[in-house]
Amino acid sequence: MDEARSIGAGDLRVLHHPVLGDLPVSRPVQITVDGQPLVAREGEAIAAALLAHGILVCRTMPRGREPRGLFCALGRCTDCLMTVDGEPNVRACLTPVREGQDIWTQAGLGRWEGPAG
Amino acid sequence: MKSTAIAVIGAGPAGIAAALAAAEAGAAVTLIDEHPAVGGQLRWRIAPLRGLDDALDGLPVCRAAETLHERLAAADVSVLTGAVAWGLFEDGCLAVATPGGSFLLQAEKIVVATGSVDLVLPFPGWTLPGVMTARAAQIMLHLHRVLPGRRVAVVGEGPDAAEIVHDLEMAGAEVVLRAADPAQVVASGEGRVERVSANGERREANAVVIALGRQPDPELALQAQVDLGYSTRLDCHLPLRSELLETSRPGLYVAGEAAGAVDLAESFAEGRLAGLAAAGATLERIAAAQEALARARSPERSAEVDRLRPGSPGEARPETGVGTPWASWAEAAAAGGQDDALAQVALCRCEQVTIGEVRQAIEEGAVTINDIKRRTRAGMGLCQGIFCARAMALLLHASRGIPLSEIVPMTERPPTRPIPLASLVEVEE
Repeated sequence: MDEARSIGAGDLRVLHHPVLGDLPVSRPVQITVDGQPLVAREGEAIAAALLAHGILVCRTMPRGREPRGLFCALGRCTDCLMTVDGEPNVRACLTPVREGQDIWTQAGLGRWEGPAG
Repeated sequence: MKSTAIAVIGAGPAGIAAALAAAEAGAAVTLIDEHPAVGGQLRWRIAPLRGLDDALDGLPVCRAAETLHERLAAADVSVLTGAVAWGLFEDGCLAVATPGGSFLLQAEKIVVATGSVDLVLPFPGWTLPGVMTARAAQIMLHLHRVLPGRRVAVVGEGPDAAEIVHDLEMAGAEVVLRAADPAQVVASGEGRVERVSANGERREANAVVIALGRQPDPELALQAQVDLGYSTRLDCHLPLRSELLETSRPGLYVAGEAAGAVDLAESFAEGRLAGLAAAGATLERIAAAQEALARARSPERSAEVDRLRPGSPGEARPETGVGTPWASWAEAAAAGGQDDALAQVALCRCEQVTIGEVRQAIEEGAVTINDIKRRTRAGMGLCQGIFCARAMALLLHASRGIPLSEIVPMTERPPTRPIPLASLVEVEE
């Protein structure tokens, strides 16, 4: 359990599971979310890393800046669109975390800040 | 242009079975899935497998994906993950987008095995962060090992609801409230779910899971405008299929939950039959797969499948009346004035179109889902209407008395997913 915590398990991690067993040790992946450093588990989706740390909001909507977060986790609803490494409209539920990834809560339609912008 | 004998879209149970069967029959197969790994629902469910084969039965579902992945590698199936088949054009021409760019794929035969998505209906607070589908909760719990919340409310009462309640409790979450009827649920909180109430009970909660069941998602087959018939069991239109699971478009097959399959065993059996049929396997093999499929189906499901055949006497028989478990939602959504609790609730999450706006469109004369879409933009957002079309159909039905079987799905057009324009500019010929 301590080991799992040391690799960045947040409060909502399922450390022990009756069917799946203990949470496997994984390589820690350093990401930043809205400028704050955060440790994720290798291979997991961005949205999972955020949820594990209690971060629920992925973007705000064009109308009324209404907050949205993970909804379908299948890549269909696009509520979890975030700006990742300067690229807007990245689906946080399907996109795996990567070392050094720079993730921002997306406001409205987002804006290009990356190489293509 | 790249080419393949068989393209299988969707690498869940039906798609994997189709790919393995077609490869076994000697065909060159390309299996395409937009997720980072193959398996579909096999990656995130933990109920024990039943009715597949000796090597797999008894395993928790999510332990099967690896075994099947090995079988795909051994069978020499070309597997493309992280790839979206976003368009189906004439003569079996598929457009595929991958992170590395787009390409066209000429396929002699196509098996659509794109599965299902969660059925959802709007309630106050359903767009708050912390409200998610049963499948999203399952994916977080089992694939990523994260609780959706510590205190969770579950909406719905069918088998999917029972499964997610079991999954949540097993992983250590507390199910603080259960509500069968989405029309009774209100979620609230500042910027995220904090409270849920239903049927006079009120609980603090940090997640709400919507588990109303699933809806088939045969997207590319709809895009190809195959003939459809109405399923009263699922309350939606399904592709009409021959005994070999071929649609009205020759060479286009639909298998598994995308065509209404009830469970994993049926999805596998359908996939296998579609794969063999598409690959032109021997009649003996096809007959054996048909027998296996018949064994995997209940008598009720077999009867439904027989009604949904092209040209059969029972084809697309319009059923009147609601007969839907969502009648009370439909009535509540249709009944209110402009100032009731549902009027300000988003029906279309993507375009933020409210139930009140959709009511008004219906009042002003909209009689089809396409009408509502043109008047309000509901269904025109990034999800392509998959999460609001059912609510629109129910509203139309309850407001105007149009039988659900006569409310046809909105027109599907490419692309099935948002794809970067740059990936179109660089299409490889």
